[in-house]
Amino acid sequence: MAGSPSRLAPSLFFSSLEKFTRKVRSSKRLKVALLLGPPVAYLMVWFVAPFVLTLMYSFDLVTPNRQFVFSPSLQYYLRVMGWEGVFKIFVRSVGYGLLTSVVCALLAYPAAYYVSFKCRRYKDALLLVFIIPFWVSFLLRTYALMGVLAEEGFLNSVLLWLGVIEKPIKILYTQNAVIIGMVYNYLLFMVLPLYGSIEKLDKSLLEAASTLGANPVSTFIKVTLPLTMPGVAAGFLLVFIPAVGEFIIPSLMGSTETYMMGNVIWDVFLYTRHWWLGSALSVLFIIFVLSMTMIYLKAVGAEELVI
Amino acid sequence: MYVPIALMVVFSFNPIRSLAKFAGFSLRWYQALMGNRIVWEAFFNSLWVAAVVTLVSIVLGLLMANAVVRFRFSGKPLVDMLIYVPVIIPEITESLSLLMMYVFINFPLGAWSVIIGHAAFSISYGVVVLRARLAGFDTSVEEAAKTLGANELQTFLKVTMPIMMPGILAASLLAFTISYDDFIKTMFTTGPGFKTLPLIIWFSASKGGVSPELNSLSTFAISISLLFAFARMKISGIKW
Amino acid sequence: MSTRREYLKVGVAGALGLVVGGAAGYFGTSAEREALKSELESLKREAGIKLEDEIAIYNWTYYINRNLVDAWAEENGIKLIYDYLESNSEIYAKLDTGASGYDVMSCPAPDIPTYAERGLIEEVDMNKIPNFKHVPSAFKGFSWDPGDKYHVIWSYGTTGIGWNGEKVEPEITRWADVFEPERQLGKYSKKVSMMTDPTETLGAALFYLGRDPNSVKDEDLEEAKEVLIRQKPHLAKYASTEEFMEGLKTERFLISHAWNGDVAGTKYASDERSVIMEVYFPQIRYTVPEEGAYAWYDNLVIPKGAKHREAAHAFMNFTLDPRVAAINAMTIKYPYPTGTQYVPVELAKDPSIFTPEELLRKLVTYASFTPEERVKREEVWLEVQAA
Repeated sequence: MAGSPSRLAPSLFFSSLEKFTRKVRSSKRLKVALLLGPPVAYLMVWFVAPFVLTLMYSFDLVTPNRQFVFSPSLQYYLRVMGWEGVFKIFVRSVGYGLLTSVVCALLAYPAAYYVSFKCRRYKDALLLVFIIPFWVSFLLRTYALMGVLAEEGFLNSVLLWLGVIEKPIKILYTQNAVIIGMVYNYLLFMVLPLYGSIEKLDKSLLEAASTLGANPVSTFIKVTLPLTMPGVAAGFLLVFIPAVGEFIIPSLMGSTETYMMGNVIWDVFLYTRHWWLGSALSVLFIIFVLSMTMIYLKAVGAEELVI
Repeated sequence: MYVPIALMVVFSFNPIRSLAKFAGFSLRWYQALMGNRIVWEAFFNSLWVAAVVTLVSIVLGLLMANAVVRFRFSGKPLVDMLIYVPVIIPEITESLSLLMMYVFINFPLGAWSVIIGHAAFSISYGVVVLRARLAGFDTSVEEAAKTLGANELQTFLKVTMPIMMPGILAASLLAFTISYDDFIKTMFTTGPGFKTLPLIIWFSASKGGVSPELNSLSTFAISISLLFAFARMKISGIKW
Repeated sequence: MSTRREYLKVGVAGALGLVVGGAAGYFGTSAEREALKSELESLKREAGIKLEDEIAIYNWTYYINRNLVDAWAEENGIKLIYDYLESNSEIYAKLDTGASGYDVMSCPAPDIPTYAERGLIEEVDMNKIPNFKHVPSAFKGFSWDPGDKYHVIWSYGTTGIGWNGEKVEPEITRWADVFEPERQLGKYSKKVSMMTDPTETLGAALFYLGRDPNSVKDEDLEEAKEVLIRQKPHLAKYASTEEFMEGLKTERFLISHAWNGDVAGTKYASDERSVIMEVYFPQIRYTVPEEGAYAWYDNLVIPKGAKHREAAHAFMNFTLDPRVAAINAMTIKYPYPTGTQYVPVELAKDPSIFTPEELLRKLVTYASFTPEERVKREEVWLEVQAA
């Protein structure tokens, strides 16, 4: 018989499909919805939801039986903030972060300046050469550095061979090693913005300054430095923020004195398995990071983040 | 900059366990590596996880990038935030939150929990790259194709995609590398027995001291990373 | 009587032969196989009970001499299903179902009370386990199973101090040695490591102070904190398992807070099927401190719904047989409480395997901490780290 179900179904399907595509074509909204739907849904579920869950735990809105209750409380925040140990370690982490950023800036500036000004021809190639080690994963770079800094490692054997020292110096597993490790790993994040900033310098300004009688040093201090400050600021924050939350480098290369915020978060979550306190701690840390980022955006102007 | 890595590579050929004296060229650590089943398993895990993550990131990233570039719509700033926040948030807190959620909903931990986690921030990286590419895209080509009679799908497949290809490849390689090299998120979201290469490297490195086996493993891992990086560079033509 | 003495002769001769001769599978020589076979025969005859034709066992990897189990199953005409597990969560997953599919399973001590209460493990009929008489009294009447009704002890481990016997003197005997700068701690400053685990390290400090290592009382934790802060400047690091074992091997650490199993595992080769008596790193020694130490206990339990109870009991009884336990110890280098009299002296007296008798009663097992209790210990831990 004509119109039997088996033949009706496919043609019904295709005609409704056609109606649908026509609708889509005509409506911008529908198009956007279709395009954004899947990715936004994905991110909502696997990125936003976990974060919301963390927030809920931190405000005591979840019971141990995984039920939601409306009993907001700041008790966990207050408790975490009252932890003397955490506060001291936070200060320590900020200190290390600052130190790392400063060292990075001091190292990166001359290098970026030199490449930008003096190496006209090869500057792109040089930059590339500098970047290549950073294509290697963080962990591997850290491990490689451990090999150099170890007591029986390369640096010591070179220094011994050169006669500069008589006994191997202990670098690895000290606080210095952690700073060196962080500088080594984060240098790129300082160099790139700095380089970009220096490159963008309007060289004519420098010429004008020297024509007006300024010597190179004061030109640098009064013209170059201030104009490249955004680059420095950007680099500073790109190094500082991840450095404060580091835990890999202190774990691998540090000593008993290098326990940092990252280690705290790790231990509180994985050892105590107290989701509420861990969440409060996480949220506090995120707030810290976000506020630093806000500062960065203000300083640099709300441009899009350079990755 | 290079010294540590170069040293590691060089000493991976050193037949004795020392980082100070080089005793001649030897492949013995590589031979040991070849026989190590756990390492190979982890390596393949890293590869296929990264492949899936890349696929998911590119598909979802393309959709998102297209929406954001081609259309103006209310709520765009929110979507922008959704794209950038995964990149800013410290990986450790993000990973722990995700782990909490997995436990909360009783999601089994293993390969898929890792993949889902990686994709959650890979998408962002993908969108950023694709968006840059799309922004410079001249839609008149698409218009032309449509006036010539092609429908949506055909235009997409035969006109848009080929032009986007370099961008797609660049984004793919970026997503792949991010997933392949990832340690922190993987560490927290993996399940019993499922290991990727970075995890193996961590467990070895956290023993402290240097081991030639790890050197050869690292040299191997590095050459793979560099391979991908060079491919990325070639394709995108930019210095990243 | 005479059979036992003959077996002792065979056992000791066999072990000596192996020590001298190097690596050889225990079941290499037919004489030994024959001897064992006759013993197994007698075991079977002694039982006189009809066993089922199948048994399903779920246990950790590398925990028993497989040849032995296979031989036992064969002798008794039982089809053996022996599955391996690799993590506690696998145990819980199976027990929680109430229909695990196994007749005998491994279970950690702290979980036994809860599972017993929930009825997910069955009572063991001790009448069917005559070898229970061989279990030393230190392994009976634990707080987590006061009536010894639900488990049969399998093996145990301790947390103590691993140290380099060649480079460290005087000998390490007590926690005080690593907590007091006047003692070895100071002498070997910066060559000492403690664990990164707050439970273990705080526990060690509490043992040193003579307190309950599982305490969460403020006064106890405060004092432990002081002890740890005083110790910290002399520590090289808070190390993870791999780190301290590697460190002991390379002499980066001369004294390390360590688990006996890791030390034994580093020192001795072990194979699932044969007894290999090779010793690597003989200089690494292990001590269970006099003040007391943490111990874990692994046990065999009968999960709910076990189908082959007779076989399960027979198997449990078999594992408690001193000769069997001795062979297991020699194979796996883990302590099996019965049968120490048959184990070669160097293994029996090695604290990284067997804990000395006088210290067995000073072993305390871990409490099941609630998250809140762990937080208290973590707070102290963080303050130590920040100091």
